Amino acid sequence: MLRGSTLVRHGLVFLGLTVVLLLLTSFVFDAYTNYNVTEVAILAISAAGLTVLTGINGQVSLGHGALMMIGAYTTSVLLTWHPDLPLILMLVASIATTGIAGAIVGIAGARLRGPYLAGATLALAVALPQVPSHFASIFGGNQGLSVPTPTPPPFLGANFTQEEWLAWIALAAGVITFFVLANLVRGATGRRFRMVRDNEVAARLAGVDVARTQILAYVISAACAGLAGSLFAYWVTRTSPSGFTLNLSLSLLTAIVIGGLGSLVGAVVGSFILVYLPVWTGGFASSLNLSSNVANNVPLAIYGIVLIVAILVFPRGIAGGFASILRGATRVLGPSRRSPALPTAPETPSQ
Amino acid sequence: MLEITDLTVAYGGVIALDSVTLSVPEGSITAVLGANGAGKTTLVRTISGLVKPRQGSVMLGDHQLVGRSPEAIARLGVGHVPEGHGIVSELTVDENLRLGGLWRRDRADQRVAIDEAYELFPPLRVRRSVSASSLSGGERQMLSIGRAMVARPTALLLDEPSLGLAGALLAQIMQRLSALVVERRLSVLLIEQNARSALSVADQAVVLSLGRVEMSDTAERLAGDDALRHAYLGF
Amino acid sequence: MRLFVIYTLDGITNGMVYAAIALALVMIWRATRIINYAQGAMAMFTTYIALTVIRHGAPYWMGFVVALAAGMVIGAVTERVLVRPVESRPPLNAVILSLGVLILLEAIAPMLFGGQTQSFPVPVSNIDIVVGTTSLPVSPFALFTVGAVLVAMLLLFLVFQRTTLGLRMRAAAFNPEIARLLGIRVGRMLTLGWGLAALLGALAGMLAAPSVYLYPSNMDEVLVFGFTGAIIGGLESPVGAVAGAVGVGLALSYVSGYVGADLAPLGGFVILIVVLMLRPQGLFSFGRQRQV
Repeated sequence: MLRGSTLVRHGLVFLGLTVVLLLLTSFVFDAYTNYNVTEVAILAISAAGLTVLTGINGQVSLGHGALMMIGAYTTSVLLTWHPDLPLILMLVASIATTGIAGAIVGIAGARLRGPYLAGATLALAVALPQVPSHFASIFGGNQGLSVPTPTPPPFLGANFTQEEWLAWIALAAGVITFFVLANLVRGATGRRFRMVRDNEVAARLAGVDVARTQILAYVISAACAGLAGSLFAYWVTRTSPSGFTLNLSLSLLTAIVIGGLGSLVGAVVGSFILVYLPVWTGGFASSLNLSSNVANNVPLAIYGIVLIVAILVFPRGIAGGFASILRGATRVLGPSRRSPALPTAPETPSQ
Repeated sequence: MLEITDLTVAYGGVIALDSVTLSVPEGSITAVLGANGAGKTTLVRTISGLVKPRQGSVMLGDHQLVGRSPEAIARLGVGHVPEGHGIVSELTVDENLRLGGLWRRDRADQRVAIDEAYELFPPLRVRRSVSASSLSGGERQMLSIGRAMVARPTALLLDEPSLGLAGALLAQIMQRLSALVVERRLSVLLIEQNARSALSVADQAVVLSLGRVEMSDTAERLAGDDALRHAYLGF
Repeated sequence: MRLFVIYTLDGITNGMVYAAIALALVMIWRATRIINYAQGAMAMFTTYIALTVIRHGAPYWMGFVVALAAGMVIGAVTERVLVRPVESRPPLNAVILSLGVLILLEAIAPMLFGGQTQSFPVPVSNIDIVVGTTSLPVSPFALFTVGAVLVAMLLLFLVFQRTTLGLRMRAAAFNPEIARLLGIRVGRMLTLGWGLAALLGALAGMLAAPSVYLYPSNMDEVLVFGFTGAIIGGLESPVGAVAGAVGVGLALSYVSGYVGADLAPLGGFVILIVVLMLRPQGLFSFGRQRQV
């Protein structure tokens, strides 16, 4: 019974969050900010899926960019055939195809461990972006397929821009994704995911079907990537292989490590850094008159350094590091209160 | 002379060795007896530097061993025959033996030492070029002891050599070793759960219980003390 | 038929480059249970160093030697400074760490050497050999590539199997604790192992660059194909890694020739999946389950 009321409470919190975010995009942010915020939301959806897979279920994926690509091409190909199909249908279709792809990878992956799984996903990340140029008639070759920007419904008024509308859609999709994932991760499914991650043998002894759990994690994770990929197609307005290189897969992994492995909030933090770090360093570099070869690669260098430092200094990721410092502080300062910032911290099962 | 003084080891908060003091004179075998979990293996792993003690000292001659790395301790003359023999099963018998003294500068004597090991345990010579994984339990134990001897150690730590060996075979191995102990002035620390066989070859013995030295005497007297045998040694 | 011969020879040549990477990965995997995802990026970096040396007027061979030496240093320093602290931690730590090194190297390279794609010189002609009036489907550089990798493998084999240093390195890799008890400085052996592996990687970088050109991510695919070969070979076995990598080279070449160059990587992926579905530990691992 308590579980149900928690769900309702969370629902209200997430609903409130949605309203706040939507109001911000419409009344506070300018078009450029909305453009960036949309990207943060898209990456966060994909990163959250990866968090569930890698952080919570313990399966490494170096090929999540390829899964996003499947989602993006599903939307783009369908729109090329039938330009009038509604956006919501595109999102659902992309989730479905990528989810199926995830199931296939997951079934293969459930038999593989450690480097064997990582190698297979890496090979996928390299192989898939080459496919469109071979089947150019369907996928538009290296040029890719153009995707029309969704137009806002008329009742929002004439001044409501396309950027605002896409930001609304991406943020709403993001909030819904996080609501679903947060509840999933706190519940029995999340507990099974973590059991498999922490000790496969023990999980099996406790009656958990390890293979099924791993496949489920892959499907959920892929579905998120598919949703993100579909939104990505609308956001870029052109879907081409160059958008889904190995770099995208590595960036997503970077995001969840920066944010603290296993934390959904961390996935948002990481995605935010992924989008805004180049913006900040770009301004910084141009003020120093750095050459473009240096300036363009500063964010990448910082990601590399952050990954290395995160592992050497904060084995739980930077947010994890901060969180443990915070928790230490609250323990010292007074009666402990469970940190609301850590919905996925290892804890006793929810009531 | 191997002298252990006030050696204390803790894993987290659990005390594994509690102020253990004992000495192993040259040319003699000291048996360390005790039940499972008494701290016997922790004792030898601490002497070899694999476990860092909380306090205490381990002197080999004039050298303080505490604080040194396992490889440095090995080079000072401590040979460690680990529990379950610890041969490198991916290598051949000969390669395993050669590993024994790879760090030594005296290459000529190294060859002599390997030859002596084959002399000590002739079954090994026959199987010198086969993979160590194909050896029987007894042969593995011979290989492990022979390998430790190749480095010409001054102290030898034997951790449960009886494990998985038939009594007669063990007696044969120990008998060959005993002769060397006197000849080479070796200080041998023999860890055993099988007290009867250990006391038959040892000169002195200590009984460890829950990390503490419970009793320490000559092997002969410990073997003769019925009450003690029943209480701690179970035979 | 002539096409088949051409594809086969191409496949073997490329496969030997993948084999060098595969062998480097297997050496590090056996010694430290870590996959060095930065292996390709390290090779890219040392190839840039070689190009810089050559551009400054030094002969190709000087650049060649400098690249191998630089590879050795980069590999050894990476192990000593970055990898050592995570060796005993859960595997994900090392995965992310080596990806961090990969990203960092690919970011620094354009800062130091420029971001545009550059051509890379060959020591011998890479135009097909002509005997009389017929052109053979093989170039001197292809022969050099195969020969250089074979020589490097032979040298490594001799070091590992015939020297006491190699014996020490094998003992350190197979059983670090026992090795330490026998007085072997295991840390140094691991550092040296990473150095030798990166040297082999640097060789692969030099051999790949004339055909894939030189840019910061030029070795990404080579790494993936080498890794694929190593996995097919079972990760534990040097022979398996070489066989697997040459197999990948051949498969890619046939798919590329008969189906389409774009589908070659997909072909590699499909073969990898098929092999792993039949044998989840690769072809050449005979039940050695040292992994958790």
